[in-house]
Amino acid sequence: MALLSVNSVEVVYDQVSLAVKGASLEVPQAGLVALLGANGAGKSTILKSISGLLAPERGAVTRGTITFEGEDILALDPPTRVRRGIVHVLEGRKVFEHLTPLENLLAATTMYSDRARIDEMAEQMFELFPRLKTRAKAKAGYLSGGEQQMLAIARALMTRPKLLMMDEPSLGLAPLLVDEIFDIITRINREEGVAVLLVEQNAVAALDVVQHAYLIEQGRIVMSGPAEVLRENPDIKEAYLGSGAVAVDYHAVKHYRRRKRWLA
Amino acid sequence: MDMILLLELALNGVFVGLMYALLSAGIVLIYKTSGIANLAQGALAMMGAYTVVVLANSFGLSMWVAIPLALAVMFAFGVALERVALRRMIGQPVIMVIMLTIGLEIFLRGVIPGFFGAAVKRLDLGISNAPIFVGELLLNRAILIGGGVSLGLILLSILFFNSRFGIIMRAVSDNQTASWSVGIRVERAIAVAWGLSACMATTSGVLWGATQGVDWSLSLLLIKALAIAILGGLDSIVGVLIAGIIVGLAESLATGILDPIVGGGTRDVVASAIILLTLLFRPHGLFGREHIERV
Repeated sequence: MALLSVNSVEVVYDQVSLAVKGASLEVPQAGLVALLGANGAGKSTILKSISGLLAPERGAVTRGTITFEGEDILALDPPTRVRRGIVHVLEGRKVFEHLTPLENLLAATTMYSDRARIDEMAEQMFELFPRLKTRAKAKAGYLSGGEQQMLAIARALMTRPKLLMMDEPSLGLAPLLVDEIFDIITRINREEGVAVLLVEQNAVAALDVVQHAYLIEQGRIVMSGPAEVLRENPDIKEAYLGSGAVAVDYHAVKHYRRRKRWLA
Repeated sequence: MDMILLLELALNGVFVGLMYALLSAGIVLIYKTSGIANLAQGALAMMGAYTVVVLANSFGLSMWVAIPLALAVMFAFGVALERVALRRMIGQPVIMVIMLTIGLEIFLRGVIPGFFGAAVKRLDLGISNAPIFVGELLLNRAILIGGGVSLGLILLSILFFNSRFGIIMRAVSDNQTASWSVGIRVERAIAVAWGLSACMATTSGVLWGATQGVDWSLSLLLIKALAIAILGGLDSIVGVLIAGIIVGLAESLATGILDPIVGGGTRDVVASAIILLTLLFRPHGLFGREHIERV
């Protein structure tokens, strides 16, 4: 049985604008799954419907079900979903800027009361992300983008999740840092057995690490499959990987767009 | 003017300022967790003092039973206030929240004396009226004790903000969505902040009630508390401590020095003048949290 399954979910913002039009996806136990797509396709909205963070943005799931470990979670509030094991690393990091890195980690431990255990967990995070330790005294708002992303991941891991959802971890980071972040993600997935659902625009980086991927366009899932298969798909290559048709002769380009082989 | 009088005014001013600061610490506590400036804090102080008086007089309880009981009642009242009124304001414009808390202030100012009597009531903490002599200085005993208790509580709240629960409250004020995303029960943290703030207001009301009696005018403390909170920076407890001393000093010295010249009444102008000057020249106060912007 899949750890998480999203079944024909529809999401409406402000009671009128339909952002997700019946999307279904699954994340297996300890799986590493990517959700790819362009800006505004509905990727972040799907993550928020899973973590329950749609409400502050006046969004709501109007149709479909989301089950986690076989149980329907749509009625639960976000903190309860975190306690079940779902954690969401928000787009743009969203660290607690006025708190130090250590305080950021401690803030994510409301569900635990054993102080010694919490300190031990924080220490583990600093081992996983040694850079954070060197900046332990600074306010998190002054950390670099990469450090903030690491802190956001570490903070999420403090909740001991079974499913880690990440929204654009590579956003605004230098290519070397993107590699580092993706390395960490695969390590967490492999060593700790934490399932990962990754939302990315950087399809090249994402398809390199994940096992399975979904492609979403205008609120609909238009394609899904193992990463190797998607990597070879000519449409994906052209639209997302930028390595489709070889050496375009711009002299000969006519003004029509190549038709995609799916209907969006 | 002789030095002794000046020193005496200054010293009394410092302690009065600390007592004001206790009330503003409550405002800061709520602002720090939920970003709401609670303008009903003065009425909460008055209500707290009334609760103590009613418990003591009508039920014949001793002060040492009535005060803890009143604190418990006011904690519950603060939590209920947040639950019933403030939580509906989430996502509403700031002006709605401001109107709501002002409305509460006015409502309580009218209703509480209406039920329990508008005449000044005595709240006797057993502090004698005899002044303390330090050398040639005359110090008011009630104010000395009140200032000391306030200082203790403010220092305690600084410690509190560095505890784990305090860290969680600061996280909530920093970013509510991110707080939800890592499992913090944001609503609960804010409710606790309101409860604690109502308790601080009650303590403040009791301390003032012991010096000037309990009636509706206790809620006028709001202006002083607001002046201190704004000068201190609205989200800094240390700021409140220092701003409290500044406001207390300024008020006391103005009374002593300017009153004989202009014929009295300067005490109440000082706080308003401080609010005005702070907003004009240093809108984020002395210790306000800077807005972090990375370049």
